Amino acid sequence: MTTTASSSRNQELQASGPLIWTAIIGITCLLLFLFQKILWLVVPAMLGLILYYVLFPAVNWLVYRGTSREGAAGFVMLSFLIFLAVWILAVAPWIATHIADWQAVVTRYLDGGLHLLTRSLRRLERSSSMLREAHLAATVSERLQQGSGSLTQHLEPILIGIMAWTPSLLLAPFLAFFFLRDGNRFKAFLGDAVPNAFFERSLYLLHGVDRTLRAYFQGLIKLTVLDTLTLAAGLWMLSIPGPLVLGLICAVLAWIPYVGSILGGLLVVLVAATDFPGDASMAYWAIGLFIVVRLLDDFLYMPLTIGKSLHMHPLITVLMIFVGGAVAGITGLMLVLPLLGVVMVVGETIGAIVTDERLMARHRHARALRRAAASQDLHS
Amino acid sequence: MVKLFGTRKETPRLKRLRDVSLFQALSLRELAIVDGLMHQRTYQADEVVFDEGEAGQAIYIVLEGSVLLCRSGQGTEGHIADVGPGAFFGDMALLDNLPRAAQARATTPSELAVYFREDFLALMETHARIASKIALQLALQMARRLRSQTEREPAIRLLQ
Repeated sequence: MTTTASSSRNQELQASGPLIWTAIIGITCLLLFLFQKILWLVVPAMLGLILYYVLFPAVNWLVYRGTSREGAAGFVMLSFLIFLAVWILAVAPWIATHIADWQAVVTRYLDGGLHLLTRSLRRLERSSSMLREAHLAATVSERLQQGSGSLTQHLEPILIGIMAWTPSLLLAPFLAFFFLRDGNRFKAFLGDAVPNAFFERSLYLLHGVDRTLRAYFQGLIKLTVLDTLTLAAGLWMLSIPGPLVLGLICAVLAWIPYVGSILGGLLVVLVAATDFPGDASMAYWAIGLFIVVRLLDDFLYMPLTIGKSLHMHPLITVLMIFVGGAVAGITGLMLVLPLLGVVMVVGETIGAIVTDERLMARHRHARALRRAAASQDLHS
Repeated sequence: MVKLFGTRKETPRLKRLRDVSLFQALSLRELAIVDGLMHQRTYQADEVVFDEGEAGQAIYIVLEGSVLLCRSGQGTEGHIADVGPGAFFGDMALLDNLPRAAQARATTPSELAVYFREDFLALMETHARIASKIALQLALQMARRLRSQTEREPAIRLLQ
């Protein structure tokens, strides 16, 4: 099955020339630019899609046991919302009691990180006269102190931003419900709009898009779980507090290629340096753990989960991540790979259709037949 | 909850699908699941459904009208079979996506239900019981076809 699928894919790739690939990359960049302007809709739509692919097996299970698709979608979404509400109600009192401490906690961990950096730089100064004369430790420490001061000032706008985003995020389960309920109808609707001559090829395209997105989002969820568990186990062995929460935050941050991993690593080091101020080796152990998890992620987890889902050349992947970052910042970094995956499938299939002379001839023939049938009884 | 798991009514479309030999082993509930995965297309007389040598992605079920299976460019000499309501063609595509062995062309205005290979493969993952019933009917159909061919060509019988 894999061989035949890949041979058909190779046939399509052969049909995609440089012109089509230029169009694919151009359209991906254009969409990223547009998406950045309508983030209020793109973010809930993405979360809705993730939710759709996570809940889809449960809906399928119910449909198989005799439930209508509408009933199954409603039941599964309602169960999810009840579960979410119960979880929020359980967590809310804990958040209410700790929210006042959070700013102090952030400042404490930032100070801990600064102390670690200053200590490390002083050690370097001791071994290098050039760095000692440049007063490297004092200069860096002073600049970072100013930076961290402004960071705490930025906490308020961040919280206001989260509040402003909440109504938009509430759209996610609403969208997911309609994806679950009407997904098949939407596919049939799109299929109906395609002329007979291109039908099989276009339907293959629709499945390709669905397969790409499903593989990507389900892979992303699996990768997050694997990353969380591995990091949590490592942090627990190092006796760092809150290993599961810390592991989950780092795994979610890793959704942003490269930048997210660095932020996650910094977070772990900050926590290690602050909670074990007298033991610098703990921070180095944390860095070591993070590097091991990244390596596991790149060479084991990624190929097992997302890696092969997008069928992209590694060079294109890396280049497009940089392009995505340049065009649409953090949003671009996060969206560029799934978007490129979809545009690639659509572009290759359209390219294969419009360059197929036989399909175009069949389409012209079918149109002529339809015109003739429509005007058959008009002539006297 | 009763409504959630309630019994399903047989619509005229489901009734027509039930008459198709490929789906005859399916219960009404299973048939409704398969129906949700199918597409409906209409073809004019003389319109090509698929070409010989084209990559096959779907099986076609004739709901109305008739379809001619023939060798491309061989006129009446290339005639293989006529397919009428309730019968299906292009079934090899359900098992592999190798090139089509013949051309299919509607001989009268026809209404076809199309069942896509990817949907069948997904069905094997999500609803293995339904997929196995369809696969069994497909195997039976192929066995019948092979048997009738061996009766016509004794040389093949020797290879069995």
